[in-house]
Amino acid sequence: MPWVTFGAFTLVGAFGGLIMFILQDLNRARSLGLLGTKAALTAGTADWSAYFALLSQIVAVGGAVLFGLIVVWLFGREFSQDTAKDLLALPTARTTIVGAKFAVAAAWSLLLGGYLFLLGLLIGAVIGLPGWSTATALSGLTKLLVTAVLTVLVVTPFALAASAGRGYLAGIAVMIAAVFLAQVVALLGYGRYFPWSVPALYTDIAGPDRDPPGPLGFTLVVLIGVAGIAATVAWWRHADHDR
Amino acid sequence: MGDTRAIDAERLTKRYGEVVAVDELSFTVAPGEIYALLGLNGAGKTTTIRMLLGMVRPTCGRVSLLGTRIRPRVRAVWSRVGYLVETPAAYPDLTVAENLAVAARLRGLTGDGPIADVIARLGLEPYAHRRARTLSLGNAQRLGLAKALIHRPELLVLDEPANGLDPAGVAEIRALLGELAHDGVAVLLSSHILTEVARLATRIGVLDRGRLVWTGATTDLVAQARPRLNVVVSDRTAAVAALRTAGHTAERDGDGLLLDSEHAVRHPDEIATLLVAAGCPPTRLAVEQDDLETCFLRLVGQR
Repeated sequence: MPWVTFGAFTLVGAFGGLIMFILQDLNRARSLGLLGTKAALTAGTADWSAYFALLSQIVAVGGAVLFGLIVVWLFGREFSQDTAKDLLALPTARTTIVGAKFAVAAAWSLLLGGYLFLLGLLIGAVIGLPGWSTATALSGLTKLLVTAVLTVLVVTPFALAASAGRGYLAGIAVMIAAVFLAQVVALLGYGRYFPWSVPALYTDIAGPDRDPPGPLGFTLVVLIGVAGIAATVAWWRHADHDR
Repeated sequence: MGDTRAIDAERLTKRYGEVVAVDELSFTVAPGEIYALLGLNGAGKTTTIRMLLGMVRPTCGRVSLLGTRIRPRVRAVWSRVGYLVETPAAYPDLTVAENLAVAARLRGLTGDGPIADVIARLGLEPYAHRRARTLSLGNAQRLGLAKALIHRPELLVLDEPANGLDPAGVAEIRALLGELAHDGVAVLLSSHILTEVARLATRIGVLDRGRLVWTGATTDLVAQARPRLNVVVSDRTAAVAALRTAGHTAERDGDGLLLDSEHAVRHPDEIATLLVAAGCPPTRLAVEQDDLETCFLRLVGQR
């Protein structure tokens, strides 16, 4: 799983770099036909600021899936591989075990975000993007890391789904539903209040015409994150582990 | 004075809606005892074990292990309890040694000593660096037992410990558990292998549909075996009629008839005379003792 997630983020990072590379030369974009047209619609200009924004959007959208998969895998595997019962009667508290899994998931996800940023720096330097400044880079990094934190928070309920569903399937099903709903709710204009839409809206993915998330949206994200962790801990501590 | 019982279960009950999985189960296990839970599939053995280990919350009743009442917040007692529930499980991409390292870490053990010791004790040296997913069922069982023993527990709870082991492995486990009991470790095990239970357990509890229908020393269970008179005749119908006329009840069993009245067992010669006079001379007549399996099946209403 670690290599899968790093590989996936390498691919999407490279794809983002490819878009910037195409946008640098519009004639080449036109000669590529549909791909070039779509690239112009998604990213706009080819400079460091636009590239950092694109990387944040990748974290928000791709991260919802990949960070979600990390959480589902960390919890779901204990049931799919039948190892959960070996974690239930130990001098190490169940709360500690669950907390450790969330800590690993968060660290792994933030590491992926940091890796994507470094990869972006490398790709951007190689293709010679204009508009570099330290302030732009720091702003881009901050936005990316905040997006990563927001995304990490909204995927915590998937751990409860994987645990209560006793395997990967339930966790993946809830993840797909959440990602789908995030798109629909954002499309309907209520994304500011729907926690799973907030990370992507924060990255201005919907364009300048849409209002960014406000305090209520961010608060709901934090509440969902805390509730997801608390509910997962409560399930592990109090549910009947009879399977 | 401290409680010397390793397990003290009092009126343990577990209901799932209308289904009663375990019904007012009470039993104790002392240090150095090997107590076996016997029962058919679905009798409640695994549910009982899971309640003992705090994995399932009893509907009512209580359980104490090594003097500690088992509740959700209890933790310290688990450093003195080892267990193996149902099929053994391990992280498939980790080696045997790595799986044991995880188990050791979760139990607060440090250093490689406990891991090396338990690998040697369970005969896992040749497999120490093999990934768990490549292990045979028997070696996976050994790994499960190793995880249960790595911290040298005072109480061992084992669900089908001999499952998947070849005869040599079963003998090794029998010797290991005997050794542990001799050192004062209390062992609770569930098993379907009656012959092994008879050789290993000091006390047996028989579960049937969630209720403890019998508990006592293994020797007492075997002593429950009733002697019966087994008669083989060529015409069973006529023989049954003749015996009924004389006031004896016979049940058909295989090729013969079984009479379990004390009079018939004590006076097989009278039965033989009666059958000869009725024109059904016996071709075989023997007083037999039930084996453990027969006793068990009778206790759970299967015979």
